[in-house]
Amino acid sequence: MSGSLLVQGLVLGILLGGLYALLAAGLTLYFGVMRVVMIAHAAFLVLAAYLAWDANVRFGVDPLASLIVTVPLFFAVGVGFQRLLIARLRPATVTMMSVLLTFAVALVIEGMLGFVYTGTQRRVQLSYGAASFELFGAQVAVVKLIAFGLAALSLLALYLLLTRTRFGQALRATIQHPQAARLIGIDTDKVAGYGFGLGLATAAVGGAALSLDSTIYPSLHWHWIGPLMAIIVVGGLGSIPGAAVAAMLLGIVQSLLQLPLGTTWAQTVFYLALFVTLLVRPQGFFGGRLAQRF
Amino acid sequence: MNARTALRLGCLAGAAALVLTACSGGAGTGGEDSSDPITIGISLPLTGDFSEPGKGVQRGYEAWAAAVNSSGGLLGRQVELRILDDQSNADRVVADYEQLIAQDQVDLVFGPFSTRLVVPSARVAQEYGMLFVEPAGAAAEVFEQGFDNLFYAAPAVANDHYNHLADAILAMPEGERPRTAAYAAMDDPFAQGTAYGLKEKLEAAGIQTVVDEVYPPNTTDFSSIAAQIADSQADVVVGGTQYQDAVNLIVALRQLGYQPKLAAFSTAPTSSEFAEAIGGATEGIVAPTGYTPEAPYPSNVEFVQRFTAQFGTPPGEDEANAYTTGQVVAAAVEAVGCAEQGECQQRLIDWLRTNTVETVVGPLSWDAQGRPQSAHLIQQYVDGRIRIVLPAEAAEAGFTYPKAPW
Repeated sequence: MSGSLLVQGLVLGILLGGLYALLAAGLTLYFGVMRVVMIAHAAFLVLAAYLAWDANVRFGVDPLASLIVTVPLFFAVGVGFQRLLIARLRPATVTMMSVLLTFAVALVIEGMLGFVYTGTQRRVQLSYGAASFELFGAQVAVVKLIAFGLAALSLLALYLLLTRTRFGQALRATIQHPQAARLIGIDTDKVAGYGFGLGLATAAVGGAALSLDSTIYPSLHWHWIGPLMAIIVVGGLGSIPGAAVAAMLLGIVQSLLQLPLGTTWAQTVFYLALFVTLLVRPQGFFGGRLAQRF
Repeated sequence: MNARTALRLGCLAGAAALVLTACSGGAGTGGEDSSDPITIGISLPLTGDFSEPGKGVQRGYEAWAAAVNSSGGLLGRQVELRILDDQSNADRVVADYEQLIAQDQVDLVFGPFSTRLVVPSARVAQEYGMLFVEPAGAAAEVFEQGFDNLFYAAPAVANDHYNHLADAILAMPEGERPRTAAYAAMDDPFAQGTAYGLKEKLEAAGIQTVVDEVYPPNTTDFSSIAAQIADSQADVVVGGTQYQDAVNLIVALRQLGYQPKLAAFSTAPTSSEFAEAIGGATEGIVAPTGYTPEAPYPSNVEFVQRFTAQFGTPPGEDEANAYTTGQVVAAAVEAVGCAEQGECQQRLIDWLRTNTVETVVGPLSWDAQGRPQSAHLIQQYVDGRIRIVLPAEAAEAGFTYPKAPW
């Protein structure tokens, strides 16, 4: 294996890891705030990708322009979803029942996508779709870099929101100890709704990023949810920095392992990491007290 | 038609059916009347997983029956299709053929769609000694079951799809010939078969394999595979692909600035959405195809015309292979001069073993296991349109090598 191939693999891994990080951040947020296992996260991701594709076909605008609509829309849908459905689940069984509920939602979204857009595989046409430039001897595709930049920006925004704003503090307080948060006057129900909306908004951003460089079809979400679930367990359930670091690491490892092992074996890295985490450190490598309780 | 005529026709049909069952209920072959229609039993996946291609095959069979009947029938008798729905279910397909052959006493059977259904139904046909010509089931396992009654009505099994391309490459002068090749194939017997068939032939001719990757069917990220192919700078890239994998792989290769001299992908390039999906950068991409309405074989011109008139669209590969099945059986029936159960079936089988049939996909002949002995046409994007380039006798445009940059 040549050095340049190694560098290329590393660059591709970093670009892939960035997208994983954004998507995993949303997924871990739901769990942190709500103890909800959100199987439909990837389905919303594919839905956003379809909306980006549709905007491009219908209005000829860049898929990224769809974010203006999809981010607020997904946020609102997320808040509504939490308030109207998740909040009705019994608190004692919310984690397990949410798996069933969101699984059903994922199927509904997949079915609707197939019904509206048919099963035909779609791809956004971009003038810069195959453009790339050289960096340290590796080719960096423009679309992948845009997707990475979008992911990095959103993660930064999420980080600032959580650490620098009163809402962020309230959200983190709700994640750390809901009862204590209520005692100091935080409306945890409202915060949880917004937290859920925030998670879904990351799916909107991720979907637009995904649409730039992927062929999309209604059942695509099943290929994403597995690795994402593994990432948030490795990173520690509920820990956003943990999810981001685990996503980046696993993305790079997967990309590099593909070179000697091939695609079939490289995709097992997520599940291997999952097993090792559960055996060695069940609370995840970055999870704090929260994760230990589960 | 008024109600009385309808009633009268209904009675007639009922009576005819009674007479037919009465006759065939006995010795089975006795009581053949030259005015009786020839009944052909078929089970097709009209619902379930394979319903789309299943309906395509049905259209092909119906187009064939209409064509035969309008030109006087087979052996002077009209043909009548008896089509059952097997719901894409392997158990149903067995029961269907049992019923068609043993109870309904059909004179001939045609095959269903897809390897999964062809294998069990061919076994039933073999037990009854029936000739079994099938329009789908190109995977190697179909021909490894020891069937002596099976014939695949298409130009080639998966491993032979690229034969014309291999011949063209090997015919190049030593200096121009590609030296290295990269292969990426989906973990699927059909897709892999196409790529590995070409790989074997090129390796035997000394063209070095520099990348050989297999990926699972659910792969969506092809950047690492593309990185390896780009790094190898192979002269030829061959994809054993279905659809989205080919599109994603080509885009990933272009993003890495890789420019092969020859790019061959199975299945995807012949799809109508392909050019749009990869952003129009199709020039020079090569694909094997089992059927194209443009193929110049004499019966094909007529078939395309009739089919378009009957269904409003030109036929696709499923329709063509079904029609071919009809042509193959018809050729045997006309040559042998019989169409009924019993020893006639063995005569039909023997005739097909040793003869060549002219069909809409070209002349077909078979080996002892029923593998067709031809190869697929090779198409290439020339000036933005996919044209037949190989073999030379069927070509619409010249084969371009090396291809233009994408």
